[in-house]
Amino acid sequence: MTVTLVSVLFVAAGLTALGAFIAAWKRELTAALTGVPVMFAGAGVAFVGVARFGAASGAPLLGQEVAVLLAIAALAAVGLGVGLAGRESSR
Amino acid sequence: MDSLHAIGFYVSAALAGVGGIFLAFLHGHWHRGLALGAFGLGVAGIYASLSAAFAAIVVLVCSVGCALLVARPDYRTVEQAAAGLWRQIGAVGAALLLVALAYAAFRGRFAHATFYDGPFNTMTVARLLFAHDALATEAVAGVVLAALVGAAIAWRRERPRDEREGRR
Repeated sequence: MTVTLVSVLFVAAGLTALGAFIAAWKRELTAALTGVPVMFAGAGVAFVGVARFGAASGAPLLGQEVAVLLAIAALAAVGLGVGLAGRESSR
Repeated sequence: MDSLHAIGFYVSAALAGVGGIFLAFLHGHWHRGLALGAFGLGVAGIYASLSAAFAAIVVLVCSVGCALLVARPDYRTVEQAAAGLWRQIGAVGAALLLVALAYAAFRGRFAHATFYDGPFNTMTVARLLFAHDALATEAVAGVVLAALVGAAIAWRRERPRDEREGRR
Protein backbone atom coordinates (compact mmCIF):
# COMPACT_ATOMS: atom_id res chain seq x y z
CA MET A 1 0.00 0.00 0.00
CA THR A 2 1.42 3.34 -1.02
CA VAL A 3 0.35 6.94 -1.48
CA THR A 4 1.02 8.77 -4.70
CA LEU A 5 0.34 12.29 -5.89
CA VAL A 6 -2.68 11.03 -7.81
CA SER A 7 -4.29 9.60 -4.68
CA VAL A 8 -3.59 12.84 -2.77
CA LEU A 9 -5.12 14.90 -5.56
CA PHE A 10 -8.12 12.57 -5.68
CA VAL A 11 -8.72 13.10 -1.94
CA ALA A 12 -8.30 16.85 -2.47
CA ALA A 13 -10.82 16.77 -5.32
CA GLY A 14 -13.29 14.89 -3.14
CA LEU A 15 -12.95 17.35 -0.27
CA THR A 16 -13.31 20.36 -2.56
CA ALA A 17 -16.41 18.94 -4.23
CA LEU A 18 -17.84 17.98 -0.83
CA GLY A 19 -17.37 21.55 0.39
CA ALA A 20 -19.07 22.90 -2.72
CA PHE A 21 -21.92 20.46 -2.15
CA ILE A 22 -22.33 21.58 1.48
CA ALA A 23 -22.32 25.25 0.46
CA ALA A 24 -24.92 24.61 -2.24
CA TRP A 25 -27.14 22.13 -0.45
CA LYS A 26 -27.61 23.51 3.06
CA ARG A 27 -30.59 25.79 3.43
CA GLU A 28 -29.36 27.57 6.58
CA LEU A 29 -26.71 30.24 5.98
CA THR A 30 -24.35 29.31 8.82
CA ALA A 31 -24.60 25.62 7.90
CA ALA A 32 -23.78 26.43 4.30
CA LEU A 33 -20.83 28.45 5.55
CA THR A 34 -19.26 25.28 6.96
CA GLY A 35 -18.55 24.27 3.36
CA VAL A 36 -15.88 26.96 3.19
CA PRO A 37 -13.37 25.21 5.53
CA VAL A 38 -14.02 21.94 3.71
CA MET A 39 -13.27 23.50 0.32
CA PHE A 40 -10.20 25.29 1.67
CA ALA A 41 -8.99 22.05 3.26
CA GLY A 42 -9.31 20.33 -0.11
CA ALA A 43 -7.18 23.02 -1.71
CA GLY A 44 -4.70 22.77 1.17
CA VAL A 45 -4.39 18.99 0.75
CA ALA A 46 -3.59 19.53 -2.93
CA PHE A 47 -0.94 22.13 -2.08
CA VAL A 48 0.65 19.92 0.59
CA GLY A 49 0.60 16.91 -1.74
CA VAL A 50 2.31 18.79 -4.53
CA ALA A 51 4.88 20.13 -2.06
CA ARG A 52 5.43 16.61 -0.74
CA PHE A 53 5.81 14.81 -4.05
CA GLY A 54 7.18 17.60 -6.24
CA ALA A 55 9.61 19.14 -3.80
CA ALA A 56 12.51 19.47 -6.21
CA SER A 57 10.61 21.61 -8.67
CA GLY A 58 10.16 24.59 -6.34
CA ALA A 59 10.27 25.72 -2.76
CA PRO A 60 9.54 22.49 -0.82
CA LEU A 61 7.55 24.09 1.98
CA LEU A 62 5.52 26.53 -0.06
CA GLY A 63 2.55 24.15 -0.20
CA GLN A 64 2.52 23.72 3.57
CA GLU A 65 2.68 27.47 3.99
CA VAL A 66 -0.32 27.98 1.69
CA ALA A 67 -2.23 25.27 3.60
CA VAL A 68 -1.58 27.10 6.87
CA LEU A 69 -2.78 30.40 5.40
CA LEU A 70 -5.89 28.74 3.95
CA ALA A 71 -6.80 27.21 7.32
CA ILE A 72 -6.52 30.57 9.05
CA ALA A 73 -8.54 32.29 6.32
CA ALA A 74 -11.25 29.60 6.64
CA LEU A 75 -11.46 30.21 10.39
CA ALA A 76 -11.80 33.95 9.74
CA ALA A 77 -14.56 33.36 7.17
CA VAL A 78 -16.56 31.16 9.55
CA GLY A 79 -16.11 33.67 12.37
CA LEU A 80 -17.30 36.52 10.19
CA GLY A 81 -20.27 34.52 8.91
CA VAL A 82 -21.43 33.49 12.37
CA GLY A 83 -20.96 37.07 13.55
CA LEU A 84 -22.99 38.44 10.66
CA ALA A 85 -25.77 35.96 11.34
CA GLY A 86 -26.10 37.53 14.77
CA ARG A 87 -27.42 36.32 18.06
CA GLU A 88 -30.85 34.83 18.49
CA SER A 89 -32.99 37.49 20.14
CA SER A 90 -35.03 36.34 23.10
CA ARG A 91 -38.74 37.13 22.83
CA MET B 1 6.41 6.43 1.92
CA ASP B 2 6.07 3.35 4.14
CA SER B 3 2.94 1.37 4.85
CA LEU B 4 2.28 3.03 8.21
CA HIS B 5 2.13 6.47 6.62
CA ALA B 6 -0.05 5.12 3.81
CA ILE B 7 -2.48 3.54 6.26
CA GLY B 8 -2.55 6.80 8.23
CA PHE B 9 -3.25 8.74 5.07
CA TYR B 10 -6.15 6.57 3.94
CA VAL B 11 -7.69 6.29 7.42
CA SER B 12 -7.45 10.07 7.84
CA ALA B 13 -8.94 10.65 4.40
CA ALA B 14 -11.84 8.36 5.28
CA LEU B 15 -12.36 10.19 8.58
CA ALA B 16 -12.34 13.55 6.78
CA GLY B 17 -14.79 12.29 4.17
CA VAL B 18 -17.18 10.82 6.73
CA GLY B 19 -16.97 14.01 8.82
CA GLY B 20 -17.74 16.09 5.73
CA ILE B 21 -20.71 13.90 4.80
CA PHE B 22 -22.07 14.13 8.35
CA LEU B 23 -21.53 17.89 8.14
CA ALA B 24 -23.66 17.99 5.01
CA PHE B 25 -26.57 15.93 6.29
CA LEU B 26 -26.72 16.35 10.08
CA HIS B 27 -28.95 18.96 11.68
CA GLY B 28 -28.38 20.85 14.88
CA HIS B 29 -25.54 23.05 16.03
CA TRP B 30 -23.81 20.48 18.22
CA HIS B 31 -23.94 17.76 15.60
CA ARG B 32 -22.46 20.06 12.99
CA GLY B 33 -19.73 21.14 15.40
CA LEU B 34 -18.80 17.53 16.15
CA ALA B 35 -18.78 16.66 12.45
CA LEU B 36 -16.55 19.65 11.70
CA GLY B 37 -14.20 18.60 14.49
CA ALA B 38 -13.99 15.05 13.10
CA PHE B 39 -13.37 16.50 9.64
CA GLY B 40 -10.56 18.69 10.99
CA LEU B 41 -9.01 15.69 12.75
CA GLY B 42 -9.03 13.77 9.48
CA VAL B 43 -7.46 16.63 7.52
CA ALA B 44 -4.80 17.04 10.21
CA GLY B 45 -4.06 13.32 9.91
CA ILE B 46 -3.70 13.69 6.14
CA TYR B 47 -1.23 16.55 6.61
CA ALA B 48 0.71 14.63 9.26
CA SER B 49 1.02 11.56 7.02
CA LEU B 50 2.31 13.84 4.24
CA SER B 51 5.12 15.10 6.53
CA ALA B 52 3.44 18.44 7.15
CA ALA B 53 3.13 18.28 10.92
CA PHE B 54 3.17 22.05 11.49
CA ALA B 55 0.33 22.55 9.00
CA ALA B 56 -1.50 19.68 10.70
CA ILE B 57 -1.31 21.39 14.08
CA VAL B 58 -2.52 24.72 12.64
CA VAL B 59 -5.36 23.04 10.74
CA LEU B 60 -6.41 21.13 13.86
CA VAL B 61 -6.51 24.32 15.95
CA CYS B 62 -8.43 26.20 13.23
CA SER B 63 -10.90 23.35 12.78
CA VAL B 64 -11.56 23.18 16.52
CA GLY B 65 -12.15 26.95 16.43
CA CYS B 66 -14.57 26.57 13.51
CA ALA B 67 -16.33 23.71 15.30
CA LEU B 68 -16.74 25.76 18.48
CA LEU B 69 -18.13 28.68 16.47
CA VAL B 70 -20.60 26.47 14.60
CA ALA B 71 -21.63 24.60 17.77
CA ARG B 72 -22.67 27.77 19.57
CA PRO B 73 -26.31 27.48 20.50
CA ASP B 74 -27.22 31.16 20.38
CA TYR B 75 -26.61 32.35 16.82
CA ARG B 76 -29.56 33.19 14.63
CA THR B 77 -30.89 30.82 12.00
CA VAL B 78 -30.85 32.55 8.61
CA GLU B 79 -32.64 30.74 5.82
CA GLN B 80 -31.42 31.27 2.28
CA ALA B 81 -33.88 32.59 -0.26
CA ALA B 82 -32.77 30.20 -3.01
CA ALA B 83 -35.39 27.70 -4.12
CA GLY B 84 -34.96 23.94 -4.02
CA LEU B 85 -34.28 23.78 -7.74
CA TRP B 86 -31.24 26.02 -7.44
CA ARG B 87 -29.92 23.96 -4.53
CA GLN B 88 -30.25 20.83 -6.63
CA ILE B 89 -28.46 22.53 -9.52
CA GLY B 90 -25.69 23.49 -7.11
CA ALA B 91 -25.42 19.88 -5.91
CA VAL B 92 -25.16 18.64 -9.50
CA GLY B 93 -22.50 21.31 -10.10
CA ALA B 94 -20.54 19.97 -7.12
CA ALA B 95 -20.72 16.47 -8.60
CA LEU B 96 -19.48 17.79 -11.95
CA LEU B 97 -16.66 19.56 -10.12
CA LEU B 98 -15.68 16.25 -8.52
CA VAL B 99 -15.67 14.50 -11.89
CA ALA B 100 -13.57 17.24 -13.51
CA LEU B 101 -11.02 17.36 -10.66
CA ALA B 102 -10.76 13.58 -10.47
CA TYR B 103 -10.24 13.40 -14.23
CA ALA B 104 -7.52 16.05 -13.99
CA ALA B 105 -5.85 14.11 -11.16
CA PHE B 106 -5.84 10.82 -13.05
CA ARG B 107 -4.89 12.18 -16.45
CA GLY B 108 -2.33 14.75 -15.34
CA ARG B 109 1.37 14.21 -15.91
CA PHE B 110 3.44 14.95 -12.85
CA ALA B 111 7.15 15.15 -12.29
CA HIS B 112 8.73 12.67 -9.88
CA ALA B 113 11.07 14.13 -7.30
CA THR B 114 12.76 13.25 -4.02
CA PHE B 115 11.57 14.66 -0.72
CA TYR B 116 14.24 15.59 1.81
CA ASP B 117 12.38 17.21 4.68
CA GLY B 118 11.50 15.52 7.93
CA PRO B 119 8.09 15.26 9.59
CA PHE B 120 8.44 18.32 11.86
CA ASN B 121 9.61 21.35 9.93
CA THR B 122 8.20 24.14 12.04
CA MET B 123 11.30 26.31 11.80
CA THR B 124 11.50 26.24 8.03
CA VAL B 125 7.77 26.89 7.56
CA ALA B 126 7.99 29.77 10.04
CA ARG B 127 11.02 31.12 8.19
CA LEU B 128 9.03 31.02 4.96
CA LEU B 129 6.01 32.67 6.58
CA PHE B 130 7.80 35.48 8.35
CA ALA B 131 10.83 36.10 6.15
CA HIS B 132 10.26 34.98 2.57
CA ASP B 133 6.49 35.47 2.25
CA ALA B 134 5.89 38.03 4.96
CA LEU B 135 3.56 40.06 2.72
CA ALA B 136 1.20 37.11 2.22
CA THR B 137 1.22 36.44 5.96
CA GLU B 138 0.41 40.07 6.69
CA ALA B 139 -2.40 39.98 4.10
CA VAL B 140 -3.96 36.96 5.81
CA ALA B 141 -3.48 38.64 9.18
CA GLY B 142 -5.32 41.67 7.76
CA VAL B 143 -8.16 39.43 6.55
CA VAL B 144 -8.38 37.79 9.99
CA LEU B 145 -8.36 41.17 11.74
CA ALA B 146 -11.08 42.55 9.46
CA ALA B 147 -13.15 39.40 9.97
CA LEU B 148 -12.81 39.55 13.75
CA VAL B 149 -13.68 43.26 13.89
CA GLY B 150 -16.64 42.74 11.55
CA ALA B 151 -17.84 39.75 13.53
CA ALA B 152 -17.54 41.63 16.81
CA ILE B 153 -19.46 44.64 15.44
CA ALA B 154 -22.16 42.47 13.89
CA TRP B 155 -22.43 40.32 17.03
CA ARG B 156 -22.86 43.32 19.29
CA ARG B 157 -25.44 45.00 17.05
CA GLU B 158 -28.07 42.31 17.56
CA ARG B 159 -29.42 42.59 21.09
CA PRO B 160 -32.23 40.73 22.77
CA ARG B 161 -35.52 42.53 22.43
CA ASP B 162 -36.29 42.67 26.15
CA GLU B 163 -32.84 44.15 26.84
CA ARG B 164 -33.39 46.86 24.22
CA GLU B 165 -36.78 47.70 25.65
CA GLY B 166 -35.46 47.68 29.19
CA ARG B 167 -32.90 50.37 28.40
CA ARG B 168 -35.49 52.85 27.16
